[in-house]
Amino acid sequence: MAATTSQASLLLAKQLRDLMKSPVDGFSAGLVDDSNMFEWRVTIIGPPDTLYDGGYFNAIMSFPTNYPNSPPSVKFLSEMWHPNVYPDGRVCISILHAPGDDPNGYELASERWTPVHTVESIVLSIISMLSSPNDESPANIEAAKQWRETRDEFKKKVRRIVRKSQEMF
Amino acid sequence: MDSEDDMHDANDLESLDDDFYSGETGMGSDDGDGDYEFGNNASDDSDDGNLNRQQENYTVLSEDDIRQRQEEDITRISTVLSIERDHACILLRHYKWDVDKVHEAWFANEESVRQTVGLYENPVARTFSRELLCGICFERHPCDRMCAASCGHFFCYSCWRGYVSTSINDGPGCLMLRCPDPPCGAIIGQNMINLLASNEDKEKYSRYILRSYIEDNITSKWCPAPGCEYAVDFVMGSVNFDVSCNCSHNFCWNCTEEAHRPVDCTMVAKWILKNSAESENMNWILANSKPCPKCKRPIEKNQGCMHITCTPPCKFEFCWLCLGAWTDHGERTGGFYACNRYETAKQEGEYDEAERRREMAKNSLERYTHYYERWATNQSSRQKALQDLQNMQNVQLDKLSDTQSQPESQMKFITEAWLQIVECRRVLKWTYAYGYYLPENEHGKRQFFEYLQGEAESGLERLHQCAEKELQTFIDSSGPSKDFNDFRTKLAGLTSVTRNYFENLVRALETGLNDVGESGNQPTCSRSSSIKSGKGKNGKTRTIGGTTSRSLDDGNHSHWSCESCTFANTKSSMVCQVCHRRR
Repeated sequence: MAATTSQASLLLAKQLRDLMKSPVDGFSAGLVDDSNMFEWRVTIIGPPDTLYDGGYFNAIMSFPTNYPNSPPSVKFLSEMWHPNVYPDGRVCISILHAPGDDPNGYELASERWTPVHTVESIVLSIISMLSSPNDESPANIEAAKQWRETRDEFKKKVRRIVRKSQEMF
Repeated sequence: MDSEDDMHDANDLESLDDDFYSGETGMGSDDGDGDYEFGNNASDDSDDGNLNRQQENYTVLSEDDIRQRQEEDITRISTVLSIERDHACILLRHYKWDVDKVHEAWFANEESVRQTVGLYENPVARTFSRELLCGICFERHPCDRMCAASCGHFFCYSCWRGYVSTSINDGPGCLMLRCPDPPCGAIIGQNMINLLASNEDKEKYSRYILRSYIEDNITSKWCPAPGCEYAVDFVMGSVNFDVSCNCSHNFCWNCTEEAHRPVDCTMVAKWILKNSAESENMNWILANSKPCPKCKRPIEKNQGCMHITCTPPCKFEFCWLCLGAWTDHGERTGGFYACNRYETAKQEGEYDEAERRREMAKNSLERYTHYYERWATNQSSRQKALQDLQNMQNVQLDKLSDTQSQPESQMKFITEAWLQIVECRRVLKWTYAYGYYLPENEHGKRQFFEYLQGEAESGLERLHQCAEKELQTFIDSSGPSKDFNDFRTKLAGLTSVTRNYFENLVRALETGLNDVGESGNQPTCSRSSSIKSGKGKNGKTRTIGGTTSRSLDDGNHSHWSCESCTFANTKSSMVCQVCHRRR
């Protein structure tokens, strides 16, 4: 266990170093507490030309000790209104699902968690989720319904959370 | 001498009902003093018959058999397709272990099979540098410290090990494990697992492969008995689904419930659902309660007058008969035990529908309870018989062969008798589910069915009596008894007679009792049966059979229960003694 734990924290430390050295457009990342490699705080900038444009959304990424063999979980701290984000902020995207969840292999290989995913690839997936919600398997049913049926109200609600996130920032 | 009587009784039956005791007519002329050899042969013959029938139908597989078959299938594919055994195994798993399907798909379009399964012939990625970057830990490793699946995506050993072990510990999904590189679908086979996994994980993985051979294969299933490790391979298309596992559990291959001939799988499913479902509770509530007119909670009136006060917090006061508020009631509506409004409305026919529904629910509940109780009784009798059988095999037979100074191999007839008892209880049990679903309006069939069932009960009782009580005297006796050989003949005879009767019964019920027309001559049959059994066994064995149902009917006719207050009135009174309602 100790071996895998140290492997995980070494890998995370390396990813953090790389992100510091060459930041990626669209988000910034850091540790919640410098002594704990397994809790990351990321700030995602609402992607331009989407409803979330201009927002600054804070989220926590929690890594399991056997990372990268199991996926981290991601939870928004900022208020979020999106079909694929649970009302409590947890993000629901297929690459964050352990392959074991789908023993019959129905999901495509590229959709499941695999150890090659990094903080960067996960956050990029979340950004792409923000720009194109998947309303077929929603985590927030209310939001999905609004997205599908009354798009204007959905937009209004998203604009409000974007403003709120800017005030908090 | 008692035994002689019993034999005669069995013989009588036999000559009366030739149809149902066919095959063994030899026993009829035997008069009870035939030698043992005869009975023994007869039962052996029918045993062989059973075995032959089973062998055409299904095979019970032990773990070794499964491994052997699996190996054979893999060898076939690997030789015919000229591919590695590892790849043959992957292909078979993908096509649910159907050898023909693999052949068909492979020879139709090898390339597309390779694509879907994830067996690449040429690596997608290929590098020739001495050092490579592992895509998981982002470290550089020398090539010999890295490996890849058929696709050529290299990762370092330590990352591979983590990947593989996580996947194996996540469950059988690891059989579908693919290359970690997201868009790549290259499959990971057992060779690679053996290279990378710990011994414990390798063991787990090979168990999953073994399980997949049974679970994914449409022609085989695990025996559903708890703790049993055998599987059963079934010849698809056979009519008879009953299989008997080596662990002695008999089950229906089609629905994996316990064996249930003569009733079919749908009826069993219905019956089991009925036994467990809420529907019977609902029926009871419907039959025995009325909803409070205000809060709609069901209320059972078990005593007292018609003035009902619902329990808090509702506290609504109302009249049980018309369900109107009690504030409108009093002296002028007939006091506490009657309701003029109700009577008037009733005469206008307002309550008929609800009352009729209630009455119907009540009747159907009683009917169900009748069959269910008998079904359950036979179930527990069967469990008891199974225990007795084990006790017999473990303890009593030893003792018996001591006291009678005969080898245990000569005691096979006792085990056979007990096995037959267990089997009969099972059949009998399901005849009650059969009876429940037999349409009420087919009187001829019902009567014939009840007659057959009653006969089956008494036949079984006779066998049980002989195998239990009479045998006990031989076990308890101090030395060899010269009657023992007679006893052997008798018990073996009874066993085979009962077996034949039950086999015929099952066949008759399975064909839906089609021999029975609505000719109406069955009552004679039924009467003669009760006379006969009364004569033969002083009626003492007929406690569970058709007689019980008849006495229950009698019970229903001596009283009638009031529709509104449920008081049981004597048959002679036309008006309810409690609520004065007309019958």
